[in-house]
Amino acid sequence: MKEPSFHKLTPRAIRVWQWSNSIRSLFFFIFPVIYAAIFGLNGFNQWVVISLAVLVFIAWLLSIFLMPYLTWKNWRYAIDENEIDLKRGVIFKTRTLIPLSRVQHVDTRQGPLLRSYDLASVTISTAATTHEIPALDEVLADRVRQQISTYARLAEEDV
Amino acid sequence: MSDFKRQHPVAALSRAFGLIRGNIVTILVFLFVGAQSESFPFLWWTLGGFAFLLVVGFANWWRFLYKVEDGLIHIKSGIFVRKNLYLTKDRIQVIDITAGIIQRIFGLVQLDIQTAGASSRAASIEAITRDRAEAINRLLRRKREDSGEEDIDDAEFEIEDDIKQTISLPNKELLIAASTSGSFGIALSVIGTVFSQIEPLISESQFYDYLYSILPSQTDTMFYIALIAGFIVFAWLLSFFGTLFNYGNFSLEIKEKEIVISRGIFEKKRSTVPFNRIQAIHISEGIIRQPLGYASIHLESAAGYGDDRGTGSILFFPLIKRKRILSLLDEVLPDYQKELAALKPPNRSLRRYIFRSTFLVTAITAGVWWWFDLNVLMWIFPILAFIWGWLKYNDTALGWGDDILVLRSRNLSKSTAYIKKKRIQDLSISQSPFQRYRNLCSVQVYVASGDRGKSFSVRDVELEDGLTVLEQIRIEGVNATIDESLESETERQVIQLPGWV
Repeated sequence: MKEPSFHKLTPRAIRVWQWSNSIRSLFFFIFPVIYAAIFGLNGFNQWVVISLAVLVFIAWLLSIFLMPYLTWKNWRYAIDENEIDLKRGVIFKTRTLIPLSRVQHVDTRQGPLLRSYDLASVTISTAATTHEIPALDEVLADRVRQQISTYARLAEEDV
Repeated sequence: MSDFKRQHPVAALSRAFGLIRGNIVTILVFLFVGAQSESFPFLWWTLGGFAFLLVVGFANWWRFLYKVEDGLIHIKSGIFVRKNLYLTKDRIQVIDITAGIIQRIFGLVQLDIQTAGASSRAASIEAITRDRAEAINRLLRRKREDSGEEDIDDAEFEIEDDIKQTISLPNKELLIAASTSGSFGIALSVIGTVFSQIEPLISESQFYDYLYSILPSQTDTMFYIALIAGFIVFAWLLSFFGTLFNYGNFSLEIKEKEIVISRGIFEKKRSTVPFNRIQAIHISEGIIRQPLGYASIHLESAAGYGDDRGTGSILFFPLIKRKRILSLLDEVLPDYQKELAALKPPNRSLRRYIFRSTFLVTAITAGVWWWFDLNVLMWIFPILAFIWGWLKYNDTALGWGDDILVLRSRNLSKSTAYIKKKRIQDLSISQSPFQRYRNLCSVQVYVASGDRGKSFSVRDVELEDGLTVLEQIRIEGVNATIDESLESETERQVIQLPGWV
């Protein structure tokens, strides 16, 4: 069986994820703060707080400089007249196949961050699940949406 | 029926009672707390609240209008915000006719028309006469005169009302079903919730002292053990009678194009499920039921309101001897291929299954045993977990036929799911780093059920098998056929499903 032709996401996605991760991962700094609030900063506890903070800081750096790149590197999508094929996952790799005849509706979405990079995400809903292609060029996203809905209309529909 | 109609006035009453029943815990707590204070005008609050609910119910009834035309139902509802609902017969998944206690006093029924995914009872007529409900039911399922764009299955959709066969549940099996019901855990959690709400009230009273005096308890430990045992017995009784009342008078009518499931002693429910709306069937053998040779059969429908809220699962048969499942399914669903070969996970998966199920339990047991210096007997938990892991491995199987996929797995109960390939909404195969190293994968399949769908999965099967299944779903979309027989693979562990004989 021939492999479908897989596409990568646009490299600009990395930038978007770097921004969003840099904010989202700030949340983890709450752990050393909570620890300090409960146990104080004297003696042994001081070192616990510092090492926690260092760990969280490393995680924060990784989530900005490594994870977006790896996520981008591992993301693939393929769409043809019969199905949508999504491959993703850095550590846990997942491949999902959605027959086009099951697609109920397709949306493109664009938050402020995606908009500032002229990107959009495509959301594909079936009767059971929702999948997202996270960051495509907005022109391409529209085309992909169009393509899916055209193909899906051709496919016979029955829940 | 081309004019707008109002429901039977009893709808006002049943709506009021429905509101009470939906908020029973809140109301009870409120009244309990209120009764504690002396200045609380208990009677007035109760009467006033009830009167208010009646007025709301009445207004709802007054503003609710419905009209049924050929293949289309139109409902106007809402006191202030008017809602117009149009529903065509093409979209109907399941039709339920329920007769609750209040409705039964007046000889009425509730009609629920369920479409795919809607988790609220959007098209629900709360109180109409049974005749009219049946008339609507017939009208909505009549053959369409004007055939626009529609499902192929519906093209020859002609309702024949003659019942081909009726299967009922014998009393003995009903009792077994009730006493081994899995809703035991749910009952326990419900009791726990209610208890936590009223606990402060109880502890202030003499209730504990009273319990302490009547229970056979010399020490505190004995007292708590007796208390827990009491809870469990109470939960069991609740689930026993719950199942008994819900599934008493169970009968299954098989018709030409649909099945009708009727059940319930006090609240009677009749669900009509067209065959072409069944998304999947799965057979579940509970840990207590399996040794007794019993199983229950469920079906998944895309309707948003199955037996439980939000899921489209409908209990198709509450309890059946394992040996009889095949003959029953052959009669009811002859187009499902039931006997086929399936592949087990390879031997190298066994250690993963056992590791997964024992790791945490062993660590906790060891820790607790070390720190608290407990009895050696508690090492029984890791041993049980080990057996559980082995059972899980043993029960996992993945099989496929021309148009069907079978996934068998075990959590606590062993579940065998039959899914038509054309009903699969999506299929995922995933790999963790360890699975990648061992060339294994997990397969997960989603079917439409309720508003969120239902997934079935098997873990740690050969990557190659996962890819084969993926490829088949791909080909299914192209409407081509494949002939790949399992016999060619010699050294693989091939088992015959369903293995219930």
